[in-house]
Amino acid sequence: MSFLHPLALLGLAAAAIPALLHLLQRRIPPELDFPPVRYLSAAERESARRLKLRHLLLMILRTALIAVIVLAAARPLIPLRGGGAHQPTAVVIILDNSPSSGAVVSAGPVLDRLRVAARSSLARTTSADRVWLMLCDGVLRGGTREALLAIIDSTHAGWQRLDLVDAVGRAARIVDAQPLPGREVHVLSDLQRTALASGRADVRRGVRILALEPGSAVTNRGIASVTVSEGAAVIELSGSTPAGRDIPQPVPVTIRIGGARRDRGGGGGGGGEIAARGLATPGGSGGTMRSAVTVSLPVQSLAPGWWLGEAALEPDELRVDDRRPFAWRVAPAARVTATPGSGSFVAAALAVLQEGKRVTEGRDVVISGGEAAAPNAPHAIVQPPADPALVGQANRGLAARGVPWHWGDVGTPGNLVAPQLPALDGTPVARRYRLAGASDEVLATVNAEPWLVRSGNVLLLGSRLDTAWTALPMAPGFVPFIDALVNRIVIGEADVNSAEGAPRVEFRTRGTDTVGATVFGPDPRESDLTPATPALVTTAFGGRDRVEVLSASALSAERFSGTRRADASAILLILALLLAAIELAVATRTR
Amino acid sequence: MAQRLDLLDPAEVARLGGIEIVAEGVVEGFLAGVHRSPFRGFSVEFTEHRAYQAGDELRYLDWRILGRSDRLFVKQFEEETNLRAMILLDASRSMAWQGTPERLTKRAYADRLAAALALILLRQRDATGLVTFDEQVRQVIPARVKAGQWTRIVRGLLDTPDGRGTAAHAALQRLTALLARRGMVVLVSDLLFDRELALAALRYLRHRGHQVIVFHLMDPAEVKLTGPPEVRFRDPESSVSVVVRPRELARAYATTVQREIAAWRKACRRHGISYHHVQTDMPFGLALRLLT
Repeated sequence: MSFLHPLALLGLAAAAIPALLHLLQRRIPPELDFPPVRYLSAAERESARRLKLRHLLLMILRTALIAVIVLAAARPLIPLRGGGAHQPTAVVIILDNSPSSGAVVSAGPVLDRLRVAARSSLARTTSADRVWLMLCDGVLRGGTREALLAIIDSTHAGWQRLDLVDAVGRAARIVDAQPLPGREVHVLSDLQRTALASGRADVRRGVRILALEPGSAVTNRGIASVTVSEGAAVIELSGSTPAGRDIPQPVPVTIRIGGARRDRGGGGGGGGEIAARGLATPGGSGGTMRSAVTVSLPVQSLAPGWWLGEAALEPDELRVDDRRPFAWRVAPAARVTATPGSGSFVAAALAVLQEGKRVTEGRDVVISGGEAAAPNAPHAIVQPPADPALVGQANRGLAARGVPWHWGDVGTPGNLVAPQLPALDGTPVARRYRLAGASDEVLATVNAEPWLVRSGNVLLLGSRLDTAWTALPMAPGFVPFIDALVNRIVIGEADVNSAEGAPRVEFRTRGTDTVGATVFGPDPRESDLTPATPALVTTAFGGRDRVEVLSASALSAERFSGTRRADASAILLILALLLAAIELAVATRTR
Repeated sequence: MAQRLDLLDPAEVARLGGIEIVAEGVVEGFLAGVHRSPFRGFSVEFTEHRAYQAGDELRYLDWRILGRSDRLFVKQFEEETNLRAMILLDASRSMAWQGTPERLTKRAYADRLAAALALILLRQRDATGLVTFDEQVRQVIPARVKAGQWTRIVRGLLDTPDGRGTAAHAALQRLTALLARRGMVVLVSDLLFDRELALAALRYLRHRGHQVIVFHLMDPAEVKLTGPPEVRFRDPESSVSVVVRPRELARAYATTVQREIAAWRKACRRHGISYHHVQTDMPFGLALRLLT
């Protein structure tokens, strides 16, 4: 309990007045003659007990009356649940309007529910409070209550993911720095499990974290990413499945490929839309849906240039992740020359590609057999020499070109592992040299040792592309592998980045050339609508003594309750009146 | 029309003059109000006839004369002085107390009441005497009917100063020795003494054949307790004091007083004693009328 006017408590000394008056009055009574004193004595003897009780009761009542009046004058503030004013409080309202808040649950968007709670929190603030609002962009917005209410009312589901642990940590630091009696953070979020995966917020004691409990889990599937490689689009799916409903169901995926964007280096592609369909079967565990489907792209989409596409799922509760754009670049046919030492299989593959107009004659890319590192070629693909005696010479050639890699001793046989080149995966390698060097990009490995590396504009292979060394030349993916080597890998792939934002593709240009693209879309983790358990929320936000996960009604009652006070002076004054009435009754009725 | 003094406020009547004047005035008014003597002797003696007047009682008509001469005469008698009355007046310190200055003290009221009573009795030719007492018997005027007796009684009243304590028991015991012939004993007192001892003496008188009448005098302030918020009340006789808050003790006190009066009344009735409670604001006539 605290007091608005604590100095008034000095008046409590006045509570001794009845006792003092009683003592003082008893000492100086006037003396009068009264013959029938014997009657008085008899009456007093008979009434002594009643009078003693009456005196005691009156003294208690009068003392209590003065004490209550003094307490009322001091304006005591008592803690209250429910209504009542609260002491000045620093509060951050985290309104999580990340993409997942657009999910429709129980016939309404989650964001609507969060917005109501945010408005309620804001409505409870007073002019003595300091209030900030944090949306999914993580920016703390201060301002008047009216201004923040306007922001809340105009808020819609955004495209950025909010790391709730980080947000709560920052909010807690802000309110903790305020010299106010109360410090609260109101977390109004769907509390996705994925949003709490980044550890534990540092929340100091004294800061209350009040989190609105999440709604029920809903099924959702979304497109996490789309990548194009070797004439196929690989579509990653993500999402959530409530417990008990995790039986895999086929998910139809539609891909629309739009017109190509010409660039200076490419020959350009055709326009129009090309549609392709695939069927994914979601998998995963623990309510999380993870799967991928590969959809072959039509031949038209292999024409050189920048290509735009969009993958779409059938609509579900969360619409923002049902469509995702993607972009890729098909480079123009490389001008390739194979040296005689490169082998017959390479020559044959190039002939096929040349026939298919995937490569032309030229010296932009030189494929050699280790006899030389093609010092004049802009791009080189270098195999080890067939004769081990020439390895040293070949290594010197690499060094002369500035390649930090060289062939070492003979490595053990094994299978290829090439995440970026799925066609190579699992291909046996019987003979190879260990590639020794540092840094740069390792594209494929055998027995965890580099087998295909890129250093600048030079590609270095650990084995010759010959059936005596590897089974690759006999594999169906050999020609696409050579195509990828000469058209994409050695020249350098177009830079396609992904970023959070409204689904779109933005191209980066240098002069008149298009050098890259950024594909915007929601964070794939937003598709997983599985809510965190209260225990996880409590742990992630700082611990049980700081965090309360509450229903909407409980949140309404608990917000600012740590500092909520009601002026009890009115109650005390009523009590004083009651005491005065009792005192009057006792003083008059007990004579 | 002149007001009857016996019905006026005792304090106002007392301001008219001394005890004699007041008593005579009261008695005149009192006797005018009653049509026959309140007290009866043991026998009467015929003295003369006179012509009948309207209003005379028919029982005093002389039927013989009426039969002989057909004229109406009534017989007149002279009462004999067979009644011997002794008035016992409490002159203790407590009797000299008045609740407010506007009222008579109990002693002053008692003096006037006793003088009036004696005058009535003497006018009926009853032998009347007076005993005043406090701790001791202060004045003893034997019962006589001769002329000047009333003056002696009044002087006895005036010559008795306010005493100290009260010893009614001793005074009454001594009185029994003085009252050899049975008669009437009138005790005028505030009865602030031991009830059982006093009753024992009164019972003895009653046993000796006396008619006993008790006037219990109280000031109205003794009946209803008032005073400052807190006060030390002191008994003027015993100097015993007690500190009380009159307002909070008033009800209990009034109950105690009423209980005491009821106790006196009951005890007196049980022993054939006439008991009369008189407050000093009661007109003397009303007090005397209690005897009729």
